Amino acid sequence: MNAAPAILARNNVRVTGSGPRTLVFAHGFGCDQNMWRFVSPAFETRYRTVLFDYVGSGKSELAAFDAARYATLDGYAQDLLDVCEALDLNQVVLVGHSVSAMIGVLAANRAPHRFSDLIMLVPSPRFINDPPGYVGGFEQADIEGLLSLMDLNYIGWAGTLAPMVMGDPSRPELAAELEESFCSTDPAAAKIFARATFFADNRSDLDAFRHPALMIQVRDDALVPATVVRYLQDQLPGSVTVTLDGSGHCPHMSQPAATIDAIEKYLGRVDAAV
Amino acid sequence: MPPSEIRPTPRQLAIESAPGGIISVDDSGRITFANREIHRLLDAAPESLVGAAFDRLLSPAARVFHSTHVFPLLKLRGRVDEIFVEFVKADGERVPTLVSATRTVMEGVGVNHWALLTMTQRKQLEAALVESKRTAEEATAAKDQFLAVISHELRSPLSAIQGWARIGMSDKIDEATRFRAFETIERNAALQARLIDDLLDISRIVSGKMRISPRTIDLGPIIEAAVDAAKPAAQARGIALQTAIDAVPLVIHADPDRIQQVAWNLLTNAIKFTPAGGWVRVLLKRDSSFLRLDVADSGKGIPAADLPFVFQRFWQSKEKAGPAAGLGLGLSICKTLVELHGGDIRAASGGPGGGSTFSVQLPLAVPMAKSLAWSGVTTASDDHPFGISLDGIDVLVVDDNQDAAALLKMLLEAAGASVRTASSYDEALAQLRASVPRLLVSDIGLQGRDGLELIRAVRAGEIPAARSIPAIAVTGMARPQDRVTMLRAGFQAHLTKPIEPSEVTALVQALAGSPRDDRPREGGPAG
Repeated sequence: MNAAPAILARNNVRVTGSGPRTLVFAHGFGCDQNMWRFVSPAFETRYRTVLFDYVGSGKSELAAFDAARYATLDGYAQDLLDVCEALDLNQVVLVGHSVSAMIGVLAANRAPHRFSDLIMLVPSPRFINDPPGYVGGFEQADIEGLLSLMDLNYIGWAGTLAPMVMGDPSRPELAAELEESFCSTDPAAAKIFARATFFADNRSDLDAFRHPALMIQVRDDALVPATVVRYLQDQLPGSVTVTLDGSGHCPHMSQPAATIDAIEKYLGRVDAAV
Repeated sequence: MPPSEIRPTPRQLAIESAPGGIISVDDSGRITFANREIHRLLDAAPESLVGAAFDRLLSPAARVFHSTHVFPLLKLRGRVDEIFVEFVKADGERVPTLVSATRTVMEGVGVNHWALLTMTQRKQLEAALVESKRTAEEATAAKDQFLAVISHELRSPLSAIQGWARIGMSDKIDEATRFRAFETIERNAALQARLIDDLLDISRIVSGKMRISPRTIDLGPIIEAAVDAAKPAAQARGIALQTAIDAVPLVIHADPDRIQQVAWNLLTNAIKFTPAGGWVRVLLKRDSSFLRLDVADSGKGIPAADLPFVFQRFWQSKEKAGPAAGLGLGLSICKTLVELHGGDIRAASGGPGGGSTFSVQLPLAVPMAKSLAWSGVTTASDDHPFGISLDGIDVLVVDDNQDAAALLKMLLEAAGASVRTASSYDEALAQLRASVPRLLVSDIGLQGRDGLELIRAVRAGEIPAARSIPAIAVTGMARPQDRVTMLRAGFQAHLTKPIEPSEVTALVQALAGSPRDDRPREGGPAG
């Protein structure tokens, strides 16, 4: 497969760990695969783990960024499927954060054999309210506000992202890697990703979705109100929901232990059933 | 004094009261510390923030940005600098802030520490900078467009001149054609000359070098001349040109060439934008202490949204009147010229198809000219130099330069006036208080309080009897805006040094002829 090396470079794919099954970790909007560093290592002894950056994020190849392709979530779903194809992955467990949960739904609907289960971390099928029936938590103007905030803050973003060692003496092996920049994001690509994420409406894509799923929600999520959690539970009746205490939208970073625990419990059940 | 054990330490004082908010937040998003200042910035009740969710203090956009960008970075990198976010007060008001954050990890527990500075004023400054950048970009775009228009407008008559010159040189044409060639060349040369004049005027206006040479003139004949000049064009287009000019002398202190330029410009515009069968009306009349010139037409009118912009430089009607529509400078030049005369120009329109009216107001040199036997000015009085008599007119001359004051005194006395002098603001007011003369002539550049302050005090009623005394300002070289300032401050007229003797006596006579509200008239030209 000649295209494979190109895809692996394009999406900065990292494969580690070993085991009979594969976990693919897909990052959300705003950062890159570094987001998983507190969670994915916990699975490396028993699973093959795959991390990647969407084109336009992290250390992906910016030259491959195509504004038209990445203007909707379909383009990002294609990235995910490209990675699966390049590594010849089937029946993987996808762990998708935020928008990547819905990207996973799109990819699973398109190529069902690639995925066995979806683990959705703080998913939302639509962020913008759609009165009268749907409360997504945001108004269109809020998202326009986000875009202008990004404009203002990206002026100095490159400097903000300058390499810096966090200094964790207990884990010297991390230091070298940490010197690389985090979450580096091309401003133009980031705005296109923001629009694709926050103006998306994936509610109708849930109808065709038949895979078993775990939803990990946070009790007080800044981006996903309780109304959305209930909506998803109604739409995906076969799914399992775990709700973590606390607030925030990044439980894999703020509560990695609880997140690992929820994923392990779900996988244990799945493995036992296999 | 409180017991020493509860007195805050210097460190506590600094943390609680420094003019910036300090908040610590744990990884679950709960606030674990908030200083007194952040409660104040967000209008939160004292001690109410600890235990609350940090996210809820942020605007929705800032909440998303924090969740997707700032928190991950802080967690991975341990530090985030100079991020702009908006916090929200309890009443919903947004507080723009600049924040930086650091992260500490002790015994496995991570805490993020935020420092906030409000930037409400900075944001206003930023907004002003953005606005001025936008304005500058618009101005640059307008200039680019102007250059494009200019080259087109200058080239059109030039190509006509070149083409017809070639035809005119041919020996194969008859006399009628040759005559037509010369005629066309002359017409286009005149058009180009006018474009160049406009350009030079704009250049003078922009650099503040526009000068006018005002004299005391009767505006009626000048407007009539402009109307006569416009008649052929109106006839050629089938437009009725009507005039209504007050039969009495309409005397202003103005530059006749420049006022005629204004009238001509308004007239040619009106004719240009009026279709065949329409009319253009010129009205010149007295309107209290002003002269009013109206040029009205039944033409295509101006959309209400465009009215505020018609006097802006380079403004063009969207429906151009034809190939020779001009540079969009005429009205802006008119406005400047009228303002240099202490006047005012306005545009009104009934909207598209409803015609337009341009109204010019100019201050009358002699507020009650009707009651003045105007011929008195021009009737020679052989007893006096320049044939002007100032008999019975008393004048107060204010100048701190003794030689200048003496010169004026001599000139005016030679024409029959009686003259007092004052050398300062205070002395002038004292003289006016003692008795109010017929006329005030004041230098502007007095030591201490200047001539502008003097006339403002007079017009403000410092000495009630002198409130409406006619006044002439005298200065050295004056910029156009200085002239406007003088006229607005309350002077009726302005003389530039060195003084032209005939000009000063004529002006004094014209102005002194005006009666005053506050005391009975004592003879004078109108007797």
